[in-house]
Amino acid sequence: MSTGARFSAGKIFPYVLLVVLLLWTLVPIAWMLLSSFKSLTDVLSPTPLLTFKPTLANYIGLVSGGNNVLTYFRSSILAAGISTIIATTLGCFAGYGLARSNFRGKRHLAFWIISTRMAPIAAVILPLFIGFTFLHLINTVWGLIVAYLSFNLPFAIWIMNAFFADLPPGIEEAARVDGASNFQTFWRIALPMTAPGIVTTAILCLVFSWNDYAFAVTFAGPGSQTLPVAASQLITQTGVDWGQLTAIGTVVALPMVIVGLAVRRYLVRGLTLGAVTGE
Amino acid sequence: MQSETAASPGRPGEGSPSRGGKDRPGRSRGPSFEARMMLPALVILAAISILPLLYIIWMSLNNVTLLGGTGISSNWTGLGNWGRMFADPGVWAGWAAMVIYFIGTVGLEMILGLVAALVIHEVVWGKNLAFSLILIPMFIAPVIVGLLGRFLVNPTYGLYAWVLRESGIYSGNILGGSVSAFVAVVLMDVWEWTPLVALITLAGLVSIQPQILEAAKVDGASYWERLRHIVLPSIAGIIIVALLIRSMDALRYFDIIWQATNGGPANATKIIPLRLYESAFRFFHLGYAATIGLLMLAVSILVANLFTGILRQRGLLR
Repeated sequence: MSTGARFSAGKIFPYVLLVVLLLWTLVPIAWMLLSSFKSLTDVLSPTPLLTFKPTLANYIGLVSGGNNVLTYFRSSILAAGISTIIATTLGCFAGYGLARSNFRGKRHLAFWIISTRMAPIAAVILPLFIGFTFLHLINTVWGLIVAYLSFNLPFAIWIMNAFFADLPPGIEEAARVDGASNFQTFWRIALPMTAPGIVTTAILCLVFSWNDYAFAVTFAGPGSQTLPVAASQLITQTGVDWGQLTAIGTVVALPMVIVGLAVRRYLVRGLTLGAVTGE
Repeated sequence: MQSETAASPGRPGEGSPSRGGKDRPGRSRGPSFEARMMLPALVILAAISILPLLYIIWMSLNNVTLLGGTGISSNWTGLGNWGRMFADPGVWAGWAAMVIYFIGTVGLEMILGLVAALVIHEVVWGKNLAFSLILIPMFIAPVIVGLLGRFLVNPTYGLYAWVLRESGIYSGNILGGSVSAFVAVVLMDVWEWTPLVALITLAGLVSIQPQILEAAKVDGASYWERLRHIVLPSIAGIIIVALLIRSMDALRYFDIIWQATNGGPANATKIIPLRLYESAFRFFHLGYAATIGLLMLAVSILVANLFTGILRQRGLLR
C-alpha cells in the first residue's frame, strides 16, 4: 500500500476543515485568556501582542479594592446554586410522576411545562418585576432564585421525565412484587439508575442560571448582583478596562466550561429537552 | 421505550391501580402517587408562570408606570396599548431586525453546525479532544460573548479589527456602521451557538448504521451521494430538533446584542426584545412593553407547539 493512497486529499480535507473550525472557535477564547494576563498598556497595544510580560494585576484588581467581585461571586453561587438544587430536587419528583402517569390531560400538562421553559425572557421579566416589587424581592438573592426557577424548574421536570421514561420497566416491577412501596421504588431503584441524568440536569440548570444576565441586571441590587452584571459594569462612560474585563470573563466562563464538558455524553439529551438520545 | 399503549407492562399509572401489591393505595383514596409526586413542582411552577401570564395580560390592557421605588400606578386603557403597538414603526422595525437576525444566526448555525458535525464525524485522529474544544463557546455566558466580541472588533486595539484592516478587507469602525455591526452581532451569536447544532447533529450521525454507509461505499457511491441519499435523510428529524431548539433560544436571549451594540448604531441591531426592555426600563411604559411581550410569547408558543409535535412524531411524548 502506497502512502499516497493513505494520505489522499479526501482523508486530509476533513483535517483542514477541522483546523479552520478550531481556529474560529478558539482564537477568541485564547485572546481573552492572553489579554487577562496583560498589563493595561499591552492590552491597549494597537498591534496585537503575542509576547508580553505576563501579570496577574487584572485578577488581583478584581478581588481587591472597594468594589471587588467577591460579593458578586457569592451572589452568583448562591442564586445559581440554590435555584439548581431546588429545581433538580423537585424536578426529580415531578419528572418521575409525569413519566409514570398516564392521564387524559397529560399532553396539555406537558405542553404547559415546556412552553414555560420557552417563554422569552424579556416578556417574563415584566410581570416578575412588578410581582417582586410587591413582595420586596427586588435586590435580594431570593428574587433571583425564584426568577431562575422560572426556567430551571420546567427544564428539570421535562428532562428528568425523559430520563425516567428511558428506564427499563422490569426492574421497578420486580421491586414492587417484592413489596416495595411506590416511593421506595422511586427512591431506591429509579433514582439511583438515573444518576447521570440527575447530574446532567443539575449542571445544565447551573449553567443556565450562572450565565443569566437579563434577570440579574433587572432584579438584583448592590447586595445581590452576579458576576455577569459585574462584567457589564466594567464598561463605563469613561472607558473600558479590557484587562479586567477579560479576567472576569475568564472567571465567569471557566467553571461552566469544566462542568459542562464533564457531562458531554449526556449533553445532547439535556440540551434537546430529551428529544435526541446521545451516545 | 416508545410504546404508546397504556397497557404496556411496567407503566404503572392511574390506568392500572391494582398493580403494585398491597402497598399501593387505591384510586379512591385521594390523589394518586404520581399526582402527589408532581404536586410541589407544579404548584411552584403555576405560581411563577400562570400568575405572571395573567398579570402580563392585565398589564397590556393598562397604562402601568413606576412611582418612586416600589409604587406602581395603573389606569385602564383597554386595547390602547395594542393599537399603539401596531401603529409603532419602532416595533415593526424591531420585528424586522429580529427576523433578519433570526434568519442570519439560525441559518448560519444550522449550516456550519452540520458541517462541523460532518467534519468531526469523519476525523479519526484527535476526534475526542477536538469535539470538546469545539463545544466550549456554548458554555460561556452570552454577556461575556458580547463583551468579548466588542473587544475583538474595537477599531483601535481589537484583534479582529486589526486582522481585517491589515488584510485590507475592512478598515472602518465595525460596530459603527449599520451593516457591519449587524454582521458582527450575527457572527457573535453564530460563534456561541454553532457548537450546539454540531452537538445535536453529531448525535444523529453517530446513530446511522455504519453497514448502510459501507454498503453504499462498496456500490461506488461518492461521499456527496452518500451524504445526500443516506446521511441527510437519516438525520432530517434530528436537524429539525436542532432548528427548533435554536429557534426557541433565539427568541429567548438578547444578551449578546445588548452588550455588543445595545441596539445601535442608529437602531440597526435593535431587535424586538431590546425594544421591549427599553420601553419598560428606560421609559417605564410597562403596560406597553407587556403588549410587545405578549406578542413575543405568542410566537414562542407557536415554536413550542411545533417542538412537541416533533416529539410526538418521534414517539418521545405520550
